[in-house]
Amino acid sequence: MKTLEATKLADLAAALTAAGYRVIAPCQRGDQVHLECYQAGKTLRADVIPVNSAKDALFPRSEVIGRYRFEGNEFETVPVAPQAGKTVLLAVRPCDAAALAPLDAVFNWDYKDEFYNAHRDATTVVALACTAADDQCFCTSVGGSPDSTANADAVLRPADGGKRFILESLTDKGQAIAAAGQAVLTEGQAQADPPAQVAPAFDSAAVTAWAKDGFDSPLWKELSLACMGCGACAYTCPTCHCFDIQDEATRREGVRLRNWDACGFGLFTKHAGGHNPRHDQASRWRQRVMHKFAYFPERFEMLACTGCGRCGRLCGNGMSIREVCSQIEQAAQAGVK
Amino acid sequence: MVANINEIQSAAAALLNEGKVKLVLGYRVRGNDRVPAFVTQADQVGCLAYDSACTQNLAAYLRKGEVRSRMPLAVVARPEVMRSLMLLTAESQIAEGQVTVLAVDEQGFHGVLDLAGTAKLLNEQYARIAPDSSLMEQLAKIEAMTPQERSAFWSEQFEPCTRCYACRAACPGCFCERCIVEMNTPQWISTAAESHGNFAWHMIRAFHQAGRCVECGACQDACPQGIPLMLLNHFIAREVEREFDARNGYDPQAEPVIGSWKQDDKQEYIR
Amino acid sequence: MTQATTQTETKAEGFEPRIVAFVCNWCTYAGADLAGTSRLQYAPHVRIVKLPCTGRIDPLFILKAYEGGADAVLVSGCHPGDCHYTSGNYHARRRWTIFRRLLSLAGVEEGRLFFSWVSAAEGQKFADLINDVTAQVKAAGPFKHNPARRQAW
Repeated sequence: MKTLEATKLADLAAALTAAGYRVIAPCQRGDQVHLECYQAGKTLRADVIPVNSAKDALFPRSEVIGRYRFEGNEFETVPVAPQAGKTVLLAVRPCDAAALAPLDAVFNWDYKDEFYNAHRDATTVVALACTAADDQCFCTSVGGSPDSTANADAVLRPADGGKRFILESLTDKGQAIAAAGQAVLTEGQAQADPPAQVAPAFDSAAVTAWAKDGFDSPLWKELSLACMGCGACAYTCPTCHCFDIQDEATRREGVRLRNWDACGFGLFTKHAGGHNPRHDQASRWRQRVMHKFAYFPERFEMLACTGCGRCGRLCGNGMSIREVCSQIEQAAQAGVK
Repeated sequence: MVANINEIQSAAAALLNEGKVKLVLGYRVRGNDRVPAFVTQADQVGCLAYDSACTQNLAAYLRKGEVRSRMPLAVVARPEVMRSLMLLTAESQIAEGQVTVLAVDEQGFHGVLDLAGTAKLLNEQYARIAPDSSLMEQLAKIEAMTPQERSAFWSEQFEPCTRCYACRAACPGCFCERCIVEMNTPQWISTAAESHGNFAWHMIRAFHQAGRCVECGACQDACPQGIPLMLLNHFIAREVEREFDARNGYDPQAEPVIGSWKQDDKQEYIR
Repeated sequence: MTQATTQTETKAEGFEPRIVAFVCNWCTYAGADLAGTSRLQYAPHVRIVKLPCTGRIDPLFILKAYEGGADAVLVSGCHPGDCHYTSGNYHARRRWTIFRRLLSLAGVEEGRLFFSWVSAAEGQKFADLINDVTAQVKAAGPFKHNPARRQAW
């Protein structure tokens, strides 16, 4: 089997960079860890779940999707091709890899999104199996597991007590990674470490069942009381995919942009005439939970939550999908509508 | 946890029992986190907690309709939060009788106060809250840089900003119903999470805090990306004090610093 | 604007700065008018944006000018005590005092942002001011590290 010394993860990133990949990996940034483009000198951290999710590489926070020019009274559009270079998501967690399924589904549903698909086709996923979890992790409650290989092209499994990784290639794209990183990989034997224990937090089927008739429940008001309406959870969520279209133009030229947007913002559903169908934070939080646990399963037969726990980890106000879903499950058991 | 946490809990229970408040805004423990607690029944006060890890500024909730509808309410407030309450009073967002203060600091609970009592306590006990010394050191370093270096420094700091506006949401002072960044006819500040939009957002956010920021640190704590917003906030607060001899959040009757004027305000830079 | 900016940068040799001036309707704009009717010659690098009062000049306007590639910004209005609306310039002055310090911390150096009081009678002061500001910005060169600059898409 192919192994990699734990200290040589950055060497693998460097080798892949040399082979022409844009390497997105968990890099130290100040006292945080961000998934960002690897450059020589950056420290890689496989021990911490990064602040941002892997979706940034496939669905950038701002992307130019059109261009136009004005000349006098003339107007012309300029075709824009997706800027999608060969990319590897290196050492992303199984929950980030799992999120590619809902993203693939939604970006190829009623319309095949040229930009997302170009990034997706150019991307190789090297997942990192989790051997430790924190108190916000809940992948096992939403159909995932800490050593899942779903959507991965290769997987790094920590082995021999964290001293090295075993690299398993699962697809042709994964084989290409093993080939490109050959110089830093060794052929040998290693004992894979046991996967993390992620205790179930709630029963997602119960949440989905309650949500079916829960649209008008007064419970939403209580559940969302702490939410202050920022987009931090949506922007770090691996599956949230809402966007806004904006034009930025000068007198002579302009670009059409696709920027991230979030259902937590009041402006998200505000109509030009001033009416806002989601007029309070309770209705916006209801949308967030319903989208992930009711509408998405109804349309695509999968949840739009992978249990990464980022929302709970970063929200100072304590609004986490994990906690809210547990409360919904309890309400369902207690027969609360 | 502070030693006399029981006193906070029983004070909260008494306020609820006597019908003086409909809601107590406090903190509870969730694993390693401290998160807001919304206590409406006296028998729930056992969840209330307080220690130095309780960094959210609960005064931010006073702009939220669902919370305002439960006034009168009580807020567990450390000195910075008390300053936010003074600012909100000065800016006519809250009034005496709507908010009761459960005053705390790192030593513990200091009693139940009305807004006037809070003003008195603040000015007697916490008239000078020293800013973090590492903040001042960092600021001195930035000020010693060349303009080119400063420009590069901030562009690196603002680069990871995704424009989630967690900083705005966490701030009690950001109570505008429609934020400047949501002014979209035309779009004044680009909403693209790119260099010019991020720069404009952070400049305007910081500037709108002039004469208003109480340096509670909630915005920086809320930022998922770790952007050092307190450098900007502290800089602005320092300049406001230097130029206009004003310290924010101590006087519930204060005129807004930006929005008032004196004939002899300094103007040595104007030709 | 973007195209014009590219031109100035490629011509750094004979650099012709682009300066945006935000002026009030009652004093500085009238002063500029007087400079014109008095046939005073002054540098042609300033684009004047007229507003009712300096009190109407939102700091965002200054950022917007830099965003579009201005090499410098000038803000000018009535002398203290002369405001057509009594106190617009006093309000503006407080804002400028803090905003210019903030911009300086962010990397906009002194010679990129100018403030002045020019009355309706000061046609000569206006011409001298523009000449002086233009000379300073010419000497400083293009604003290459402009932190507010619109990114090239």
